[in-house]
Amino acid sequence: MSLSAEPIVSINEVTKDYHLGKVVVPALRGVTLQVHPGEFISIAGPSGSGKTTLLNLIGCVDTATSGVVRVAGKDTKQLSERKLTDLRLHTIGFIFQSFNLVSVLSVFQNVEFPLLLQKKLNASQRRERVMALLEQVGLANHAKHRPNELSGGQRQRVAVARALVTQPQIVLADEPTANLDSVTGQQIIDLMKAMNRERGTTFIFSTHDAKVMTHANAVVRLADGKVLDRVTPAEAGVALAAGGH
Amino acid sequence: MLQILLIAFRNLLAHRRRTLLLGGAIAGVTAVLIVLMSVTNGMKATMLESATTLMSGHVNVGGFYKVTAGQSAPVVTGYPKLIETLKKELPELDYVSQRGRGWAKLISDTSSVHVGISGIDVEGEPGFRKIIQVREGRLDDLNQPGTILIFEEQAKKLEVRVGDTMTISAPTIRGTNNTLDVRVVAIAANVGMMSSWNTFVPSKSLRDLYQLKDDTTGAVYLYLKDMKDIPAVQQRLREKLAEAGYTLMDNDPRAFWMKFEVVNRESWTGQKLDITNWEDEISFVRWVVQALSFLTGFLGFVLLVIIAVGIMNTLWIAIRERTREIGTLRAIGMQRRRVLVMFLTEALMLSLTATLTGAAFASALCLFINAQEVRAPEVVQVMLLTENWFLKVEPGSVTLAVTLITLCAMVVSLIPSFLAARMKPVTAMHHIG
Repeated sequence: MSLSAEPIVSINEVTKDYHLGKVVVPALRGVTLQVHPGEFISIAGPSGSGKTTLLNLIGCVDTATSGVVRVAGKDTKQLSERKLTDLRLHTIGFIFQSFNLVSVLSVFQNVEFPLLLQKKLNASQRRERVMALLEQVGLANHAKHRPNELSGGQRQRVAVARALVTQPQIVLADEPTANLDSVTGQQIIDLMKAMNRERGTTFIFSTHDAKVMTHANAVVRLADGKVLDRVTPAEAGVALAAGGH
Repeated sequence: MLQILLIAFRNLLAHRRRTLLLGGAIAGVTAVLIVLMSVTNGMKATMLESATTLMSGHVNVGGFYKVTAGQSAPVVTGYPKLIETLKKELPELDYVSQRGRGWAKLISDTSSVHVGISGIDVEGEPGFRKIIQVREGRLDDLNQPGTILIFEEQAKKLEVRVGDTMTISAPTIRGTNNTLDVRVVAIAANVGMMSSWNTFVPSKSLRDLYQLKDDTTGAVYLYLKDMKDIPAVQQRLREKLAEAGYTLMDNDPRAFWMKFEVVNRESWTGQKLDITNWEDEISFVRWVVQALSFLTGFLGFVLLVIIAVGIMNTLWIAIRERTREIGTLRAIGMQRRRVLVMFLTEALMLSLTATLTGAAFASALCLFINAQEVRAPEVVQVMLLTENWFLKVEPGSVTLAVTLITLCAMVVSLIPSFLAARMKPVTAMHHIG
């Protein structure tokens, strides 16, 4: 895969502290990372290592305590709440560990929702786009179902479709396979991988599952809020087998 | 927007029990408020109609006639000419009637009572027939001279029935007492406190009693097409009657019978006209109406507070339950304003549906009660000036209740909705609960 020189995500010396009462808990301690368009990157690390925090900062749903986070060329700290929301809507897609679908909407409506927020397409264009994606994730026959009528794997596929429907430059997935069995998890990763390959969408996903990591182009390993290294999946697998992070 | 409506609608459906409970409460409060307002409106309307038919016009041209400085009588001389002038000057006029005014002792074989006596031409007063419900006898017989209409309460006190004869004994302007024998031709259903102190005799009989000329009366009652014109009509009447050569008393917003003392102290003699309105003549109606309005307002306020607390509490719970959903929607690109709109839409949908349901139920209930002719307790009858409850459902009141409660629901929903919209997506998404 040929990667463009300009990174789509650029994180420079970023720290993030959480305040629990009077106690300051550092979640990220000077993280620097660059992700290029089209990459399929896994962020690995044990619980509490800062994976979710890092994804939240890249996803513009949270702000860094210090340092610079640039997404699609924009310094997120300089953007207003409204602009950050727009950036999320037009540039980023989210896949959550617990699927986070709107329970009262059908599969079709869940996937269509970001398009409605964008207000770019008319009804027939939206329908065409949504149905094409549902076809791709194998849920075209379940378009009218509600999320509670689907299995975990099916719900996550809906979430993948929802994340991709706006054709974002980046898709962030926080432990997308954690709540799924291994076979279904594998299917979701395959699906993400296919989308990455076909559309050139950048995927950044967190996981601590070694099998999942093997699909990534690169694995960014985090520990105690710091980037340990950026390695190949094979190297990450060796390290895990050796009992490291 | 359609999607937001859909989310709101489906969320309400998804939490059926909560929706039904809160919606039921809102509908109930709306219904109670509308019924209360209908009772008040009905009482106002009934009291006003009864009182302005039996005891006063919308505007009255009464007056006092003084033969000597210290003696006055509630008499208007040359009333046909006066009515002509009034009709010419008042395009707002619906119709005119005239009533003789007197105060006398009504004596039966076994008892006596002091009562006000009104001289009436019953043929010329269609409104009178509408208000008076004759229990015994015939109203038309009141055309005949030497007859009287009394109320059930008086009939009971005096122990008389239709056909019995009584004597009216009235003090005259010259200090003597005149008497007149009258036959009871009609006994009417009580009309509240009116039943204690009012009786009706033909105008001619009243004039005979007081030995007055045919062109005299007690007061000319003016009924307007629109009661809103009362102040303007009063003002214009003062000017026009003065221009026409009538002498007018200074404006004194009190009932005519409260003015004798003042008038008797004044040194003038002859005729002076006095212009009053229904509120001056029957101020108790105004007090009762004000008290009723205050009571309705107070109860309405209490109900609104209750419903406001309920809505706010329910919305807090809903938002708490849906915090993660809010976080997700914010994360995928929903602006804060839309989150606010989403929750407000839900509140609007619930409150509007509930208030409309409550309004429909209350209106139907009021119509049902009216159709059943439910008898009001006696203490209420005293104020109502009629026997049965009348619940007047006014479109304005219904709209007010629906708008007020819906607005109240929206206002209290603003706080939790605003806080939901202000939530950071990351905080909302990781909310547990």
